[in-house]
Amino acid sequence: MNRRAFFNWGTGGLVALCSGVGVSFAAMVRFLVPSVFYEPPQSFKIGDPADFPYGPPTFLPEEKIFVFRDRDRGFAVASAVCTHLGCTVAYFQSDHRFHCPCHGSVFGPNGAVQHGPAPRGLNWFEITQARDGQLLVDKDKVVPPSYRLMV
Amino acid sequence: MGRKLPQVFFALSTLALVLIVAAVWQASTPSWKDYQRRFFQLEAQDEPNAVTKAAVLATPPQIHQILLPGLQRVDRCTTCHLGVDDPTMKDAPEPFRYHAGLGPHIPSKFGCTICHGGQGLATDVKDAHGEVPFWQDPLLAKSYIRASCGRCHKEGDVPGVPELTEGRRLFESEGCHGCHKLNGVGGSIGPDLTEEGTSHRSPEWLERHFLAPNVVSTGSAMPNFHFTREQARALTYYMLSLTNEEMGSYYSSVLLIPSPEYGRQLFVEKDCIVCHSIGGVGAKTGPDLLAVTKRHSLEWLDEQLVNPQLVYPGSSMPEYDLETNARKALVAFISAATSDDAQEILGHRGKALTAEDVAIEAGRRDFARFGCAGCHGTELQGGVPNPNAQGGQVPSLLHVSDDYTKDEVIQIIRDGKVPPLDNASGPTPPLYMPSWKHLLSEEDIHQLVEFLWSKQQKSKESW
Amino acid sequence: MNLIREIWQSIVRRDPLSTDKGKSELVFLNVWLHIHPAKVKKENLRFKYTFYLGFITFFLFVILLTTGIALMCYYRPYPPQAYQDMKDLQFVVFMGPFLRAMHRWAAHAMVVCVFLHMCRVFYTGSYKKPRQFNWVVGVFLLLLTLGLSFTGYLLPWDQLAYWAITVGTNIGSYAPFIGSQVREILLGGHTVGEAALLRFYVLHVAILPSAIILLTIVHFWRIRKDGGLSRPVWKLAPNKVEQLVTIGAPAETAPLKVVAASKDKTYGLMEVVTGKPIFETITPEEEEDAVFSYPYAFFREAIALMVTVTGIMVVSLFLHAPLEQLANPAKTPNPAKAPWYFLGLQELVSHSALLGGVLAPTLMVIVLLAIPYFDRNPSRRPSDRKWAIWLFTIFVVANLVLIVIGTFFRGPGWAFVPPWIHVVAGAE
Repeated sequence: MNRRAFFNWGTGGLVALCSGVGVSFAAMVRFLVPSVFYEPPQSFKIGDPADFPYGPPTFLPEEKIFVFRDRDRGFAVASAVCTHLGCTVAYFQSDHRFHCPCHGSVFGPNGAVQHGPAPRGLNWFEITQARDGQLLVDKDKVVPPSYRLMV
Repeated sequence: MGRKLPQVFFALSTLALVLIVAAVWQASTPSWKDYQRRFFQLEAQDEPNAVTKAAVLATPPQIHQILLPGLQRVDRCTTCHLGVDDPTMKDAPEPFRYHAGLGPHIPSKFGCTICHGGQGLATDVKDAHGEVPFWQDPLLAKSYIRASCGRCHKEGDVPGVPELTEGRRLFESEGCHGCHKLNGVGGSIGPDLTEEGTSHRSPEWLERHFLAPNVVSTGSAMPNFHFTREQARALTYYMLSLTNEEMGSYYSSVLLIPSPEYGRQLFVEKDCIVCHSIGGVGAKTGPDLLAVTKRHSLEWLDEQLVNPQLVYPGSSMPEYDLETNARKALVAFISAATSDDAQEILGHRGKALTAEDVAIEAGRRDFARFGCAGCHGTELQGGVPNPNAQGGQVPSLLHVSDDYTKDEVIQIIRDGKVPPLDNASGPTPPLYMPSWKHLLSEEDIHQLVEFLWSKQQKSKESW
Repeated sequence: MNLIREIWQSIVRRDPLSTDKGKSELVFLNVWLHIHPAKVKKENLRFKYTFYLGFITFFLFVILLTTGIALMCYYRPYPPQAYQDMKDLQFVVFMGPFLRAMHRWAAHAMVVCVFLHMCRVFYTGSYKKPRQFNWVVGVFLLLLTLGLSFTGYLLPWDQLAYWAITVGTNIGSYAPFIGSQVREILLGGHTVGEAALLRFYVLHVAILPSAIILLTIVHFWRIRKDGGLSRPVWKLAPNKVEQLVTIGAPAETAPLKVVAASKDKTYGLMEVVTGKPIFETITPEEEEDAVFSYPYAFFREAIALMVTVTGIMVVSLFLHAPLEQLANPAKTPNPAKAPWYFLGLQELVSHSALLGGVLAPTLMVIVLLAIPYFDRNPSRRPSDRKWAIWLFTIFVVANLVLIVIGTFFRGPGWAFVPPWIHVVAGAE
């Protein structure tokens, strides 16, 4: 076989090989991305609308969310995880604010930072109504503080 | 240089590329993605809003998983069975149909496999339904699913599942305890049934076995009890419910649906009629129990059963060691009991109670409870085949007084007895009288013998 | 542009590959490739002589390393999570079944290839002086390969795994004095349980791979120091035959011509250090038989690699690794069989525990280790070695027959049941 033929076949083979390696690499990365999580789900149902009172928000400790229900504007769900270092904040009815016990961050009624070392306001999560009428919260979907679900 | 080596190299490299692409393609196209796509199309079908419709159709496929640490399992059934909690899907084709009638048993807290069986970890159809070798818990056929209720609801009646109650009752009345241990009580001639529900013997096998033990389990010494189809099914339901799974407290503290039947059984067992009356019928020592739930709360009544002295110091009501479910059942019975019930209970007890009557009654209860009927028959008639034993069968007990004194029978019950061989060089008979001294106190054995003697038939005089 | 060339040349510092110097430098200036000689003898490349089995075994090991490390991201060595993780790999992990299949089939293939490689080395007499110790290292590599396969066998924690290891460790416990103690250390207890799984895992992913890598380094190093890869010297013209010489060994006065040590190209590196390029050290008569490693040897190696990889991939695409039901210590499958490479031993054990469990394996290992020192015949020509070849062949065939019997001809109760007869399963 002459040099040109050798070179062509050889290069062709090398290209195929490198492509194969490239695909394998991409596949390996995808392999490492988990398809299921052994954690509580990010999207979950919290119950019927009738289960939630108006006025002070309902705190769900396992899901770490506050569920607000306003007579005029409907439902809203705020995260109870402080944006500073992850402690669970508490809601005080007296001043309608969220207070973090760890480093003293204070968040206003709409979750904005008013005081303390927190860098961002509290997240508000999307809340919708599932087809069986139950309320569905999705922590993967962050919405603006003005978001409300009217039921 | 090898003549064709560069071409071989090229061919192999291309082959390797093709193969890795094929492997990636194989991994990217699992069957569950097809099912999800079909479901979203179904969902989007009736959606008027174009934006929502597009969003639904564009939902990225992903595996849905219900983590159930309290039940020690992981269920991925909802990856394909996406309409399970969606009432609008009640007429959809399977696997998308809505699951009606769940009540408090919502999928997110209970998953699917705890009732239906199958392999929750799997994500393709045959594996998930457990219809593969090496998974011995396949989907339960429709006719057996309700047996799973008994896995959590272990006592009392479960509404909608009368088979469980009937099966439990048959197990006691036919004397299965005599050969089979259940929860530590029973004989060792047959296998222990405490965890029969997890034994991986199929429901069909169990039912066939109840109908014809020897045919299904060759060489078995279990007699044919000539059950009807319904009885065999009820017993199968009961077997399937016998599991001992570790469950988180959320599941194991399950509210029992209190069973008035069970409560009545307890009322009779504990002989409450000896001190109490219902609607005037019965004894006058303690208060009348008619409509007692209208006068006292359920919590109060429950406390009364646990600790009578607390409520009425100096009361002569003994402390009964009843567990929660039993107390609930008893209260359920009392709340609806009438003077007719009391009359019936009194009638069964006979008139005056002598010590002997008490003993015979206790003996009768023990005869049933420890399963003697399993070998000796509910009417003490014997007759169960016992190959190579003298007489070829388990003896009848109706004539023991002819051949033995009471003390001899006491000794046989206490220490057991191996039946004498018909043919000395033949095989050992499969059935034998076990020793009961570890399970029965001396008093119990005496009472049993009193019961036996009360049943003796006079044999014909033979010349 | 200059910057790019500067960056390139700071990484790749050899001459262009079109020059002879460049071809040589590719080998000895490269850390990954410099175990190769810059030039190899043509006969070293003969496929039908070695079938490249050594290389294939090594490539299989590389496949096992990469797939194994990938699988480690999803596997927990604690029962029963181990079994659940196997199910996750099968159903939920992207390319889980494929990677697991690659790992399992490559493992079986490696055991087979290690054995075939040993046969090849024996049949070509390549264990003879001065390569005796490399044969010994090879035997240890064989034992380590079997150990890796055995420890890996337990990890899925299914019925097959549990009982195969129970049987396997019980065979081992028949060894006198140390048998039961070694078994206790291996299992971390008296039966296969949590402790055993953890220990087997540590052995499988850390201890045994490290040992194999260390010994492989020695194995490859010694090939170079022993004078290079094996070639069928009995086929070469007399004046081209040389006695292979190792560093420090006294020159043998043997019937074959001795080539002075300085002419052996193993020492080429030293010549380069003194300034003379390597190829000038090769004697004129050798030059025609020797070709540059690049591209001749590397090309063939690449092809061997491709054949191995594509072969394993093809099998893995169509045949998924089996997984039986969860390990159940209370329920022994009937029959319970050791992994296939131990089935010959299990067959022997079924006749006599002493024979199968102690004598046979010990004798086999001792005999294998002793071969290069026992064999006083200096010739490697097959026609001069009829006895050796026959004996070895008988040994190989006997092993195969025992394994075949154990695999296909033993049914429930270890009864002799030819595979074409269907055994009716007993009642429940």
